Amino acid sequence: MADLLKEIEAQIAGAKATAAKQNVGVIREIGDGVAKIEGLTDAMLNEMIDLGKGITGLALNLDETEVGVVILGDYTQLKEGDEARTTGKLLQVPVGQGLLGRVVNILGEPVDGKGPIKSNETYPVEKIAPGIIRRRSVSQPVQTGIMPIDAMIPIGRGQRELIIGDRATGKTTVCIDTIISQARLNKAAEVTGDREYRPLYCIYVAIGQKQSTIARVISVLEEAGAMPYTIIVASPASDSAANQYLVPFAGAAMGEWFMDNGMDALIVYDDLTKQAVAYRQVSLLLKRPSGREAFPGDVFYLHSRLLERAARVGEKYGNGSLTAMPIIETQSGDVSAYIPTNVISITDGQIFLETDLFYQGVRPAINVGISVSRVGSAAQLKAMKQVAGKLKGELAQFRELAAFAQFGSDLDAKTQAQIDRGKRIMEIFKQAQYNPIPVEIQVVVIWAVQNGYMDQVPVARVKEFQNKLTEYFTLRKSQFLAKIGREKALNDELKAELKAAADEFKQTWQ
Amino acid sequence: MKITKRAKRNAKQLFRVCMVKDLLDASRVRQVVQHLVASGERNSPSILAHFLRLVKLDGARHTAAIESATPLPSGLRTVIQNGLERRYGPGLTITFTQRPELIGGMRIQVGCDVYDGSVRAGLEALEKSFEAR
Repeated sequence: MADLLKEIEAQIAGAKATAAKQNVGVIREIGDGVAKIEGLTDAMLNEMIDLGKGITGLALNLDETEVGVVILGDYTQLKEGDEARTTGKLLQVPVGQGLLGRVVNILGEPVDGKGPIKSNETYPVEKIAPGIIRRRSVSQPVQTGIMPIDAMIPIGRGQRELIIGDRATGKTTVCIDTIISQARLNKAAEVTGDREYRPLYCIYVAIGQKQSTIARVISVLEEAGAMPYTIIVASPASDSAANQYLVPFAGAAMGEWFMDNGMDALIVYDDLTKQAVAYRQVSLLLKRPSGREAFPGDVFYLHSRLLERAARVGEKYGNGSLTAMPIIETQSGDVSAYIPTNVISITDGQIFLETDLFYQGVRPAINVGISVSRVGSAAQLKAMKQVAGKLKGELAQFRELAAFAQFGSDLDAKTQAQIDRGKRIMEIFKQAQYNPIPVEIQVVVIWAVQNGYMDQVPVARVKEFQNKLTEYFTLRKSQFLAKIGREKALNDELKAELKAAADEFKQTWQ
Repeated sequence: MKITKRAKRNAKQLFRVCMVKDLLDASRVRQVVQHLVASGERNSPSILAHFLRLVKLDGARHTAAIESATPLPSGLRTVIQNGLERRYGPGLTITFTQRPELIGGMRIQVGCDVYDGSVRAGLEALEKSFEAR
């Protein structure tokens, strides 16, 4: 007690009365989540503005006599004449591993009812992307577990791969599968104690989606055991346009923490079309000049500064990475619209999903002809490169020949064989949702089809053959699969072993 | 009333004309208003509306409102007045008001800048810090 009194006395003796300077303003106009505030002469761009009643705003327009502020909260509680003050802080969100397994809103506040989030660090929502010196080229793969992607459109850690397609073509499913695949790989590495494996944490940013859709994604991830490695940042359709516009930046800040701390992270923006629409709404309310399709002039910069934050940084800077998978929704397959072309030009490749393929039963409905990965092949597993190197070309030939064969039935044996092989390849690429395939199994299956093991199997039974082959290798040749995982390439010895195993399986197949 | 960009630009130009040595000249302001009213131009009302706003904002920028819980002695008033003129330059209109709810201390507002050294503000800050914990 005496110590406490002494401590208080010492503090009183050292206390100095000061009145800190504050910068205030008055709300002149408010509506639709946007306020015009007179005063606030010291406000910075993107500074958090304290609007009272626990409501925060973000200064977006700095005019000569007033500041345009978007309100991140219930703006109906505010009225004209209320006082606002600057905080001297940029918009920040909590970051760190404490967020894993949680569902948060734009401000990083939990919305899953699991209590407060343990996080001591915050990151600004808007941050300049890593520069040229800090970056290094992509060299490590992201195993999506989706066979056509891992085989022909490989994604590397630090890459930005766009997922583009019409509504209901499976864009979100591709990303969810990738997240589930990462969780399985992370878990497997934890179980085996593999220290060389770098876990890939995932961030799923839901922008302007239905609450039911977000709830479904959460339940799928929970069922698959992927939530402990995933953060969900949600701004549903019922949120204000300002929140929907800012939420991808909040997600990016959370991902950057992993990158800055030498870890790897994957971020899914679902989807950037809705973000652009929300930004258009905010810009129009702020009375910014509009351009093409009424989007503001800086809508390209909006997406480029967001996606540039995905990077692989050099060893000197922690060797971390942030991979981005933005999603863009097209209207009737029109990829030449304003926002799709913008994002296509920013990203390092794109995966096109087509409605026609989807209804033909090709799921995932990836059009491999026009899907590309500009940097990912450098990161592809060597074993996969060995077996799938020619796959894209063969499929292109198959599509051409199949289209030509529609006009006549007389085909030479070689052409017929090419068409038959193509049909079988298309068949093995069909995959159930939320069921990523380990890369070793993918190598075995593609090797089998490429080496004619499925040529005698009727097309209708190819899937059955593939499933049995997978079962055979998983149950009886797990050591061999582990060897592929370790060696990462198919040497002569492994090839011989694979051939022997495939021959053995072929004999039992009926 | 819709104030166009052009009206805003014109109002700003007129406002600049009314400045003498960085201070607003009241006689020039009167002259401008009289001229605009007399001209009877179609966009005069919108120019005048924006001009009025600029004059109001300038007035607020050059007004210091000093609030205290108890009346301040004249010596202290002079010290405050001199201090504010040193910081914000001459031409300040200073008003002293008594606000018992401040409990103690003083609150000074010059334009957008607020220096709140009142007991009430201190208590509010303390309350906020407890809430944050």
